[in-house]
Amino acid sequence: MGPAEAHFQLLYTPEAALKEAAAVPLAIVFSHPFDNGFTMAMGKPEAFYVVAQRGDGEPKRTDLMQYLEPIEWAGSDGTSKAAAFLAHPPRNITRSLGDYTFVLQPAPYYEKNEDKYIQQYTKTVINIGGIPGNWDEPLGLPVEVVPLDKPYANWVGGVFRAVVLADGKPVPHAEIEVEYLNHEPMIDAHKFDPEGKVTAPQEAFSTLSIRANAAGEVMIGLPKAGWWGIAALNLKEGAKHQGKRLSVDAVLWLKATDMKK
Amino acid sequence: MNFRRMVWLVPPVALLAAVAYAHNAICDCFDNGDNTITCEGGFSDGGKAVGVPVRVLDGAGKVLIEGAMSAQSDFKFPKPKVDYRVVFDGGEGHIVTIDGRDIAK
Repeated sequence: MGPAEAHFQLLYTPEAALKEAAAVPLAIVFSHPFDNGFTMAMGKPEAFYVVAQRGDGEPKRTDLMQYLEPIEWAGSDGTSKAAAFLAHPPRNITRSLGDYTFVLQPAPYYEKNEDKYIQQYTKTVINIGGIPGNWDEPLGLPVEVVPLDKPYANWVGGVFRAVVLADGKPVPHAEIEVEYLNHEPMIDAHKFDPEGKVTAPQEAFSTLSIRANAAGEVMIGLPKAGWWGIAALNLKEGAKHQGKRLSVDAVLWLKATDMKK
Repeated sequence: MNFRRMVWLVPPVALLAAVAYAHNAICDCFDNGDNTITCEGGFSDGGKAVGVPVRVLDGAGKVLIEGAMSAQSDFKFPKPKVDYRVVFDGGEGHIVTIDGRDIAK
């Protein structure tokens, strides 16, 4: 029996909380973040943009499609390679202080094993300089995981909360998968670090399967520094793509940081 | 008790300022590439920096430009031809100084 690995759309950048403005590199890979052995081939994303806000100012949306660079990304097993994307938006995109929510709407992916398509609306929230902005605001996506805690300012040992929305409404008891980004992406090398940070004692620990509560809220603990992904699955019952089932999922990435001197 | 100080603290404006300034002042600047510099300010609680005084000083500490953060909590000024630094003056304990050499595009 093969392990029941969860598919996660990665929208990765190394730092979540930048001290000052800098160019923010991104790796866009469709993978299984706990083991990252097998990487799935992505089609060209349907949308890719960032919504920025400083303090109580107006949110500003910047399209990033022009920065998509098609590449081949290698899984941590060192053999499989699949179509993925990098993006190196210039520094002037992220030179203001505040929150930046990167949003990726990938093309539906055909999962042969289940004869269905998967489309994961994915958000990664970073901050520059410590002035908060729109981290807690829904962006009006068809499906999304909306943070209830700042996704870029979490201590290891704390908890992180979010609410799952479909068409702007909470999804009670939504099916959730949580994974730790165990193999750090090496953006310039187009691969994952073959050395994982932790080892799962048993398959059930690779993907943590949980449910949202009756209000559509999710809460997870953060036992280890690094990126954590929350994926809410199949939020649009009956959705189809090219005549087949389409699982419309929402993914949110958040980062936990060690408390140290 | 110093009566004058107590009176000074009572006006609502002063109280509001005290609340905002309980949080960290943050300021950063960038070079617009057209011989102007934009500085943005704010506070770590998301509070605006509207009206916060900004001074641009030369190497000797002489004031070259003086102004205040706009309604958008930013301040734009012509890039000085000499070495300079920007002082975001959020009040005692909330002063941020940025060296012109650290201001990038």
